[in-house]
Amino acid sequence: MNPSGKLRILIAKPGLDGHDRGAKVVARALSNAGMEVIYSGLHQTPELIVNTAVDEDVDAIGLSILSGAHMTIFPRILDLLKEKGVEDILVFGGGTIPKKDRLALEAMGVGRIFTPGTDTRVIVDYLKETLG
Amino acid sequence: MSDHPSRKDRTGLYREEALGRIQEAAAQWSRDYPRERERLDKFTTLSGLTVSPLYTPNSNARLDYLQDLGFPGQEPFTRGVYPTMYRGRTWTQRQLAGYGPPEETNKRYRFLLAAGAQGINGVFDYPTLRGYDSDDPEAFADAGRGGVAVDTLEDMQTLFEGIPIDRISVSLVTCQPICNISIQSMYFANALARGLSLHDLAGTSQNDFLMETAVSIAPRVSPPRVAFKLSCDAIEFCARYAKGWNPVSFAGYNYREAGCNAWQEVALVMANALACIEDMLRRGLRIDDFAPRLSFFFSAHSDFFEEVCKYRAARRLWSRLIQERFRPGNPRSQALRFHVQTAGVALTAQQPLNNIARAAYHAMSAALGGAQSVHVDGFDEALCTPTELASLTALRTQQILQLETRITHAIDPLAGSFFVEHLTEEMEKHIARLIDEIDGRGGVVKAVEEGWVHRIISDSAYKYQQAVESGEIPVVGVNCHRMAEEPYRPEIFAVPETLAVQEAKLKRIRTERNSGRAGQALDDIRRCAERDGNLMEVIVEAVKAEVSEGEISKVLKEIYGTWNPPLF
Repeated sequence: MNPSGKLRILIAKPGLDGHDRGAKVVARALSNAGMEVIYSGLHQTPELIVNTAVDEDVDAIGLSILSGAHMTIFPRILDLLKEKGVEDILVFGGGTIPKKDRLALEAMGVGRIFTPGTDTRVIVDYLKETLG
Repeated sequence: MSDHPSRKDRTGLYREEALGRIQEAAAQWSRDYPRERERLDKFTTLSGLTVSPLYTPNSNARLDYLQDLGFPGQEPFTRGVYPTMYRGRTWTQRQLAGYGPPEETNKRYRFLLAAGAQGINGVFDYPTLRGYDSDDPEAFADAGRGGVAVDTLEDMQTLFEGIPIDRISVSLVTCQPICNISIQSMYFANALARGLSLHDLAGTSQNDFLMETAVSIAPRVSPPRVAFKLSCDAIEFCARYAKGWNPVSFAGYNYREAGCNAWQEVALVMANALACIEDMLRRGLRIDDFAPRLSFFFSAHSDFFEEVCKYRAARRLWSRLIQERFRPGNPRSQALRFHVQTAGVALTAQQPLNNIARAAYHAMSAALGGAQSVHVDGFDEALCTPTELASLTALRTQQILQLETRITHAIDPLAGSFFVEHLTEEMEKHIARLIDEIDGRGGVVKAVEEGWVHRIISDSAYKYQQAVESGEIPVVGVNCHRMAEEPYRPEIFAVPETLAVQEAKLKRIRTERNSGRAGQALDDIRRCAERDGNLMEVIVEAVKAEVSEGEISKVLKEIYGTWNPPLF
């Protein structure tokens, strides 16, 4: 947590997937819940996302992936965070990610992954509890 | 040109005296109506329009049958764009397909055609939509995802191998103009190579500049005016050289999926279309040269009557706008034809089989609203690219609707319903008002540059989410009737290996092609851009030299620069 006492969250859309409705709604909900939110916009490479996370000194990165490329992208982000020595940044996410893959990603060290239909209050509570 | 009676000379449907008596009786009924027994504090459509308990002839007191409804196939086209509608030809069952390398999608096209699909609806992967080759570093993990990977003319040949494109209409979901200018050119070049005339081709390209600049946006896209030019170049090209082709499908569906409501969907689409028309006229075309081929693409969302009324209102308003602003000679210039996709955003990851029911209701509203072609989403929409079973079930949903329910037997059967005519009029008013507002802001291109369109969509999306979270919008399985254990887990589709396949192809093509010819083709594009010529004319030639989509896009971005859209 940074000096202002507020949680800083980066919401990012990696890759070329253009479905950003969920990411924007979540970004706004977190912001309305009192967090400092940086929304990266679309079309971000994993390298760019991690660099932004480090530069902005965030507590967590939320990845929105509706392209199906999650099993490539999440691990890549985790590797980059490890390389930069910032593994304490929580990685969570949402999108069209089936249960089997969610479990696999959680086993790799990703935090919770939220399916379509998740109430944004659940995400807010999760971040407050986990990053508290 | 038909006589155009002044709107003041209106003949109501009902006798004044009858309306008076009904009004009195209705007022008494209303006084006795037990409002305290209503289940909700207010009843509205999904877009927030009030719904009264009851509608009577008084709700349509000013309706003039001939001016406001008329007959199918005639202005104002409220009742349908063709005289026989589904009695003559049913809507086209046009199911989307696209994933992996082109050889894989070709199989799904053939599977669907063999199962009775009546048209092709080809969706392209994320790199292709953004103008990248599969092996571009930006494409990273996305080749083959969200659609089929097409990099070169050879890919287009493979994609349509064994498919009679001279006899089947093909919709190319080339959302972004930067994609369309190359991919549609490849489609045309392939047709020419098969010995076909472009005028004989039937089909549609999405080619919507709002897709590139306001919806599904990304950094470093074409600036709005450039995306708009690329779109208009393709429209002009088709008006001259491919008269059977619908060169644009204004993608209201996608604005709706991004979050706007039913009447915003139509207003944005029409503002876009009006801007395109004005550009075509500036280029020296006459309205009747191209307006009949402008086509539209709407969502079919969950509020059944709102959607039906939306389609009817859209047809009537479009007919009036075109007549007032452009005075066409051919009434077909006023006929709003549209494709419908059932709303993906309304489908749930929870209890996915429920989505079969949802999509069926959506499809019914499209059919009762007079759509020309329909795609029904698969029940696994919220989980993955559709499996063969989900795709087949969606197709069967259409077939059952078309063959078993007999809603196709009477044209525009909901007409005359007191509620439907009232809501149609309300929708028309809301749409027209927003179009006026966009006009007041200097038109849609400017509204995009200023981020105004992005904000409308974003605000509506957030409002909708809040309404779901408060329970105001019930969603079965999500905020009510939830189940801890999913009763059924569908198979998740696995996209076939694409990057390796496409990389190998690109390597081979780049090595084996005539590099002089390829270089010349790219130079021709540069020179055409410098003299502000029609880029599709030169790109249809360029793709024959085996240049890739990525190479073409790079040249366009060099010349025109790029733009970072506002984030909210």
